Amino acid sequence: MRFTLIKDLKKDRMMKPILGGLLLFILLYIVADIFVKQQTIGLFSAEVALTLFGNTEEYLDPISKAVFLETLHGEVFFLMMILLTLSAVFVRLRAQKRFSLALLNITMSSALLALLSLAFAYFFSQSFINLYVLTFFLWHIGAFLMTILSLWSLYRA
Amino acid sequence: MHSLYRYSVLYFLLFSLLLLGSSFLIFEHKIGFSQLEVVHYYLGDEESFMIAKTPLGLLKIILPHIFAFGLFMMVLLHFLVFTNKRDSSEVLFIIYAAFIAAFLELFSPFLILGGVWVFAYVKMASFFAMLGISLYVSYLLFVSIIKE
Repeated sequence: MRFTLIKDLKKDRMMKPILGGLLLFILLYIVADIFVKQQTIGLFSAEVALTLFGNTEEYLDPISKAVFLETLHGEVFFLMMILLTLSAVFVRLRAQKRFSLALLNITMSSALLALLSLAFAYFFSQSFINLYVLTFFLWHIGAFLMTILSLWSLYRA
Repeated sequence: MHSLYRYSVLYFLLFSLLLLGSSFLIFEHKIGFSQLEVVHYYLGDEESFMIAKTPLGLLKIILPHIFAFGLFMMVLLHFLVFTNKRDSSEVLFIIYAAFIAAFLELFSPFLILGGVWVFAYVKMASFFAMLGISLYVSYLLFVSIIKE
């Protein structure tokens, strides 16, 4: 990643718009992900429970194990790549801020917990769904903030 | 490495464990870890109502994985640059072994479809080799981060 080697990114005429574009697309992904999850797995506990376990009264089948595992697998891959890229840019632009370390840790650990709690909810106990919903929103808010702060650091005078 | 980058790498390693864990579960659930199960998965099995895969169907499955394997291996392995094992022959061996294992894991099913059943073993061996290499590299990186 060349941007980790350039001394002052804000003054680099080439890297500045490239990183700006990348951050903008990450921002779009974070927002779009919420809409996609709303339509697929659900955003809140009741909807997620319905997707994972179905409902016999409403004749809704639960998600199959194969589909669940494949969804989780794809989700892990996308999340790890996006958050690694975002955190690399964020660290490069805001490494000197004490708040950055806390935000980075909260975002990354909540994303990790979101994936784990979803798997635990499916395989062990439905009660993990609440933790999934909480950490899902937490990592989205954290990543959103990281992106906005990175853009702010990149473009402020 | 900047101290904050170490956190990013550490979280990446944790995500990697989750990725490897989920891939193990998928392999176990969809294919199975015996030669017969691997052959049945690709060539079909009437008793368990499994339909045989076609070369095009197989290509559609592996297409996103070709890019994903390459990207994952590149990202994971390039962090070795920051360890004290950089430029060692061990790391060079790991790099070649990782990409060869990934290649065999992806493309050995085509030879199973072609009737060379022994490649069911190659499929399983390359899958476990990929897991093993990824875990070993993760361990090397983890030790390097902790010691730094």
